Amino acid sequence: MRYSADLLAKSPESVLVSLSQNGNRDAFAELMSRRQAWIRNLMRRCSGDPVLADDLAQQVFTQAWRSIRQLHDADRLGPWLKRMAINMWLQHRRKNDPLRGANEHDDADSPREDTTSVALDLDHALATLSPDVRLCIVLSYHERMTHREIAAFTRQPLGTIKSHIRRGTRKLQEELAAYVESEKELK
Amino acid sequence: MTTARDPNLQKLFAQAAQDFQDDAFAADVLRQIDRERHRMLLVWFALIVVALMCLAFLASPVLAALGMATKALPVPLLEIETEWLRLLLSPINSVAAAIAVAALGLRKFVRRIFR
Repeated sequence: MRYSADLLAKSPESVLVSLSQNGNRDAFAELMSRRQAWIRNLMRRCSGDPVLADDLAQQVFTQAWRSIRQLHDADRLGPWLKRMAINMWLQHRRKNDPLRGANEHDDADSPREDTTSVALDLDHALATLSPDVRLCIVLSYHERMTHREIAAFTRQPLGTIKSHIRRGTRKLQEELAAYVESEKELK
Repeated sequence: MTTARDPNLQKLFAQAAQDFQDDAFAADVLRQIDRERHRMLLVWFALIVVALMCLAFLASPVLAALGMATKALPVPLLEIETEWLRLLLSPINSVAAAIAVAALGLRKFVRRIFR
């Protein structure tokens, strides 16, 4: 059965999930249009590569379509998608060299707010972190997850997560000093 | 609490988030889903064709083997002259009974080894 785009746009997410579970592609497309920005941004912060991020985000939604019937609580779509996205990223990282991307930006240029966008500079700074530290930082700052949640999510000890986030925060503060200073001046 | 974050970095993360609203992304995903469905249909079609071909090629040997088994399984292990005794023992005095007993024994043996 086909529903008008207007009706789908006004429908709550749980209804769209139920329709998608019954094979309604329009409902799933509407879900994607609501959630794509979040997943694409998350993947960009994780990978730092817009093309790769979009590719992975597409794979996340393809997998979501395949397994949406397994989502028993329609209100849990967000955490379910997040888990899928992070697993997709970890899977991608395992397939590739885990050390690739870490510390590859050795140039000492500090980010310049006037010439580059915040996203580019942030990704540049994130690229200086090791993959594990980067993931913890992204989950903490981008997803606003608590340390305990990150520990449960990544199945790593809480102490390790705290140390990763402390180290990552310090490194980002150094890398993004120009932004931090300008924020302080504005205050 | 374990959630203390640098507010400046938090602000940068919020500023870096882009608002993607293009339909091309969703269209690409739907195309990918279609491609995958077509691929699955092709795989199922190929599997059914292979299964039908196997059935066609193996039908006669399988039927012959079944025929032989049907003839061989009720053959008595011991020749018993007395009519009523032969009828009474027929459920256990056959090749099928011997095979069943062997299978049960093997199962018990395997369970004893692996448990």
